[in-house]
Amino acid sequence: MNGSEQLLKRLPNDIGGLEAPKIEQTDHDLLPWEKRCHALADILDFHKIINTEEKRRGVEALGSEMVGKLTYYERWIATFANIAFQKQLITPEELAKKMAEVEARWRSHI
Amino acid sequence: MTAHEDHDHDHGTEHEHPHSPIETTDKPGYYDIMEQAFQELMIEKGYIGADKIRHQIEVLDSRNPALGAKVVARAWTDPDFRARLLQNGRTACEELGITFYDLTELIVLENTPSVHNLIVCTLCSCYPRPVLGLPPDWYKAKPYRARAVYEPRKVLAEFGTIIPDDVEVRVSDSTAIQRYLVLPMRPDGTDQMSEEELASLVTRDAMIGVIPVKPPTRGASS
Amino acid sequence: MNPVPEQRKIAGVVPAPADLPRLRAGQRVRVGTLSPVGHYRVPTYLRGKEAVIEAIMSPKAVNNEEEGFGRNAGSLGVYYRISVPMTEIWKDYVGSPADNLRIEVFESWLEELDDDRP
Repeated sequence: MNGSEQLLKRLPNDIGGLEAPKIEQTDHDLLPWEKRCHALADILDFHKIINTEEKRRGVEALGSEMVGKLTYYERWIATFANIAFQKQLITPEELAKKMAEVEARWRSHI
Repeated sequence: MTAHEDHDHDHGTEHEHPHSPIETTDKPGYYDIMEQAFQELMIEKGYIGADKIRHQIEVLDSRNPALGAKVVARAWTDPDFRARLLQNGRTACEELGITFYDLTELIVLENTPSVHNLIVCTLCSCYPRPVLGLPPDWYKAKPYRARAVYEPRKVLAEFGTIIPDDVEVRVSDSTAIQRYLVLPMRPDGTDQMSEEELASLVTRDAMIGVIPVKPPTRGASS
Repeated sequence: MNPVPEQRKIAGVVPAPADLPRLRAGQRVRVGTLSPVGHYRVPTYLRGKEAVIEAIMSPKAVNNEEEGFGRNAGSLGVYYRISVPMTEIWKDYVGSPADNLRIEVFESWLEELDDDRP
């Protein structure tokens, strides 16, 4: 017994009532990709391709280390990839190839 | 949770231009590339239409706290609208043309001399986006989400808001379909103000419930 | 939602079990103590706490804990907005004893408490 069951029983987002520091009243204008990601989430939910609750569950399933180290929209896009793979909408190889293509496109412009 | 929960620095690039096109002179970060690739695949495979995301960005860009402020100002000046707003927040907003692009409903929480409302989403970041736009970073970060349900008066004090002991503090934690909007109290000294002038007093933070609506400063029209 | 008075209803109509909300506004309830893994929408801080039904939420909807795994339709249920005193949730709560929390909870998480409890 190593007490690890708390990691399963209390999800990383379930933070109501936990110790936390002073609120830093920060905000930032969304980066263009973040705004696209938010719009993407809305479209995926509207068509129930990946609904909003699946997204929430998928972010939780990233686990506490990733939830802690990825920013808000980084968690979303990683989650969309995972869920799309699970649903066999796209494959990991397809996404990796397309990412390489996007990057190559950028390089060819500079 | 680490101290980095929800830090939002983009480690590779510093975007100076708020309306940068998809391809900029800075190398897109890893997640930017992932988003572009994911989106392109969704479109190529026919899961979503080519223009859908662009249209939704326009929808999102049109949602901001000024909409909520207009709802509040209307409620302050039109008692029948106020009653309808408190009965069903979504349909009352739709009367004003504020459409809801998702399946959320809206409960408007009325602040009174005896009740002060505060909204939070401890589990994620539920927020009345169709009527207020996107939430500020602090609303989505751990300190607010963890503490608003546990020590709301201390949280309010950090925003400069002191609630007397004889006023009930009511915290609404969103978890499902209902979203919340605080209807702040109308400040003194505003009897002569037009609806438009009243709306200009109402801030996003007052509709989250962390601050009241401040009375007009001396010299403003009243 | 404003309930229609009984005398206005037509006699002889048999409702399906899922048609009528199990709980009513003002009813005392306890939040369940199950510990689900995978996905849940009832925060740990609320488990086992006693509350009062403030209102029946509308419309009925899918259980969001199942929605999180892809259930998009069917088996609609009732969500209730409940009111819980802060002092019931936090034993060391600092504030007014009248301070309270409101939260929306799916029906499966709520058990009725006896009405004649003191």
